[in-house]
Amino acid sequence: MNWDRRAFVKFAVGAVVGLHASPLVPKLMDDSAIWTQNWNWVPNPEDGALAFANTVNPATGTGVKVRVIAGRLKGERLIRVEGNPEHPTSKGGVVPADASALQNLYYDDFRVKTPLILDQRTGMHVEASWEQALDLVAGKLAELHKAGQAHTVAALGTEAKTLDGELLSRFMAAYGSPNTSFNVSASDTLAMAGWAMTGEENLGFDLLGANYVISFGTPLLEGFGSPVAVRKAFAAWRKDFKRTGTLVQVEPRASVTASQADQWLAVKPGTEAAVALGLCQVLIQEGLYDRSIAGAALGFEDGDKGLGFKTLLAKNYSPGQVAQISGVPVETLITVAKAFAKEPKAVAVCGPGNGGEPGRLLDFMAVLALNALKGNLGKPGGLVARQPLGLKPLGEAVAYRGDKPRLDGLGTAKRPLGAADHLSLAKGALAGAPYKVNLALVAGGNPAFCAPQAGVVRDFLKSVPFVVAITPYLDESSSQAQVVLPCGTFLESWGDSLTPYGAAQAEYGLHRPLIKAYEKVKSQGDVILALAAKLGGAVAQALPHATAEAALKARTAGLGELAKLAKKSYVVQEKPVYGNLGFKTPSGKLEFFSMNLHNLAVKLSGEGGMAKVLKAMGVSAEGPAALMPHYEPPAALAKAGHGRLVLAAVASLRTPKGDQPITPYMLKVLDGDTLANKDQMVVEMNPQTAHDLHLYEGDLVKVTSTAGSTEARVHMFAGAAPGMVFMPVGLGHYASQNAYTYRRGGNYNQVAEATADPLSGLPTWGLTPVAVSKA
Amino acid sequence: MTTHEQGQAKRSGADWLLFVVGFVLFSALGFWGTPALLYAEKPQPFQFSHKVHMEQVSEGCKSCHSFREDGSFTGIPSTDKCKECHSDSPQGDTPQEKTFVEEYLNKGKPVDWQVYSKQPACVFFSHAAHAENAGLECKKCHGDHGDSEKLRTYQQNRLTGYSRDIWGSSILGMGDPPKRMKMDNCADCHRANGVRDACFVCHK
Repeated sequence: MNWDRRAFVKFAVGAVVGLHASPLVPKLMDDSAIWTQNWNWVPNPEDGALAFANTVNPATGTGVKVRVIAGRLKGERLIRVEGNPEHPTSKGGVVPADASALQNLYYDDFRVKTPLILDQRTGMHVEASWEQALDLVAGKLAELHKAGQAHTVAALGTEAKTLDGELLSRFMAAYGSPNTSFNVSASDTLAMAGWAMTGEENLGFDLLGANYVISFGTPLLEGFGSPVAVRKAFAAWRKDFKRTGTLVQVEPRASVTASQADQWLAVKPGTEAAVALGLCQVLIQEGLYDRSIAGAALGFEDGDKGLGFKTLLAKNYSPGQVAQISGVPVETLITVAKAFAKEPKAVAVCGPGNGGEPGRLLDFMAVLALNALKGNLGKPGGLVARQPLGLKPLGEAVAYRGDKPRLDGLGTAKRPLGAADHLSLAKGALAGAPYKVNLALVAGGNPAFCAPQAGVVRDFLKSVPFVVAITPYLDESSSQAQVVLPCGTFLESWGDSLTPYGAAQAEYGLHRPLIKAYEKVKSQGDVILALAAKLGGAVAQALPHATAEAALKARTAGLGELAKLAKKSYVVQEKPVYGNLGFKTPSGKLEFFSMNLHNLAVKLSGEGGMAKVLKAMGVSAEGPAALMPHYEPPAALAKAGHGRLVLAAVASLRTPKGDQPITPYMLKVLDGDTLANKDQMVVEMNPQTAHDLHLYEGDLVKVTSTAGSTEARVHMFAGAAPGMVFMPVGLGHYASQNAYTYRRGGNYNQVAEATADPLSGLPTWGLTPVAVSKA
Repeated sequence: MTTHEQGQAKRSGADWLLFVVGFVLFSALGFWGTPALLYAEKPQPFQFSHKVHMEQVSEGCKSCHSFREDGSFTGIPSTDKCKECHSDSPQGDTPQEKTFVEEYLNKGKPVDWQVYSKQPACVFFSHAAHAENAGLECKKCHGDHGDSEKLRTYQQNRLTGYSRDIWGSSILGMGDPPKRMKMDNCADCHRANGVRDACFVCHK
């Protein structure tokens, strides 16, 4: 036996066969398969006792149940958000933003877990203690106050009427600054329209009771009010494959709502109000209107104020004229108006724009007028007034006592109405007249990304020497801040939410800390209260509560015991209140000619100069018509044409509304018609429009407005109105801390240009003239 | 005679012995080396006698490994459960109990036991369905663990992170519960007892 090549080969083959005859290979294969189930990003919650906790997602108004698992070693962890079937309006449903809320809670890299202070030398945030961070902020605030510069502090909150909003407003007023702004919404516009025509600010649409609904450009099924509640109402109209409700959608794009509707009136952009007024005219000319209330309303007939609403309609909004304006055929207008009049429970709905904008006041007034003529005010399936929620104020009213003008011009002759919004504040501050901002406090939201014309707010924050952000996330706003204070998401903090837009029943949502996911994270209210306590004096007096929980307890004292309320998490008015709206107008009647608006204009100008005042408020109509529901072409349309297209937003439940960041799950469910190749935004254009611009499916284009520009791929969609380009919202985050959302598409808010809405003065950014060119 | 034929003639059958040697050596290496390489020994936080505890309680295993109100199984008891009998000071004189009371019980810290029977997370297993409804004894799967005086050495699979008890002590993967707790054991028992063994019964 020689140890030669052949012998070695025999030995080696024996070794290989021997090794394979051992359990090594099958065992390693089995273990490798199990190993693949244990990658560190695969969620693997510890076993433990399961419990459910109720809460309400303030971003969506959905009543949810959260599954909590109490692990023996790792403690509690939230593992799932599902619908709460007991919630009276959301009835167990959820939308993607609810279902994926835990991703924002547990996404470590993106969360602010400890106070951060910007290191000026390195430009990086470094961890700090609460004491250090609060001392730094309170020190700056005290310094500015001492120097008589308190008014140069601005605060940018989220929702004005929530607990957090009220705490912030009180803090700022007591500190001595008039500059507090919030997100504006369609609720502000509807309250103004209601105040102008009915004297009632809390109006809602009884969708569940209605069986004929005309929606004027609202994303009814894609994020209107509480999206789940609206979807439930829609589902009721389609129960058991029987159509018990008819939906008519008036919109320039074949949106989800339009495609689910029984009838889609494809209108020219921004002409929805003209269609509403055209329908009003048909009701009158056919004698199908309510004579007892609408017919007896102030300003209906010609009178001492001049021409009445009836004459105005006949003169300017005949079906022929409206067909000309809107592109809806005369016969269609007449058929829809007759069907609307015939149905006993019919309602016309106005609402937020597809990009979340607050809508146009004159459009809302036109829709209110249509409802009034239908005679559905206060009736089942109509326009109803909600009961007040019965919340108690946090103390005696605190108002700004200084003499410095507001930066956003609110309350001046140019902007007597409206609500304090981020864009106007930012524009005022950037202009530096009459003064610049020395410190900005961003509380809760992400205005540098989400505010209308976000680029302006971003530039404003960049221009401010000291920015403080109270936020759960390292986003576009907080990454610009000198001090970042961590506050919790709705799953880990105290707070509340008010009735979603347009709901027929008053709703109040409460959220409480369900988990202490990060040791140093506090409720936003607690941060404001801690700052107030540090500052002392008038600020501490205005905010005497020790904690956000205590403040919430005081606020909800009229609703019952806080512990019980928090556990249930909601208070919902049992059913809509039907009956006369009451008309708290100066005339005590429904008013087509708004005395409230008239009195305001008179107050500002004296009878003679009223026309001038209204012109300053952006109203182009003259005479009594200026204070009546009428149609004014959107400013954006005047600038369109000549090779320019009109940009509008695409609403979707798969993209976020408001300040909440899009979650990885929501990004994942976006299809190639919204986000191509995972990171390229897709804009829709009518094939003819694309053809005229020599563009083809999938072409990379640059969409440019005066506000900004972004790149996108073209998708040809016959359901898009010609001459328009439709863009999704909520994409295009550029704060690099969030790897999942970083540079996924572009930001609609940076391209859309905001203009002041006539009368309301609110920024509106639904339509923007843009140039589209090959990138 | 060609060179090849000359080479063949010179070779003896003994050459094949090398094949056998290679085979035996490396299959032995496989049998011995696989577990030695694959499993790491991990210490338990302290020693524990199931036997001592079983003598003190009236309801057997269930006294500590109980079901919650919703029917789910508590598994390893929490320190709160231990507090039902143990107090701030040790009842016996063993150093193990002293460690437990001082380091865990009094500090309210959960004991990070290495769990011999922990199944992968992709498996849904209901103790209530097996122990309550089907009336299986704990011993069926857990063997004499409840009567043991000492905790065995815990062997952890370096690749999967799970206990060796799942694959079983036999590296060949032979045997039935309590020696082995793999999926095929579950499926065999389900089939033998006329219970569905479809994937979704356990992999939800």
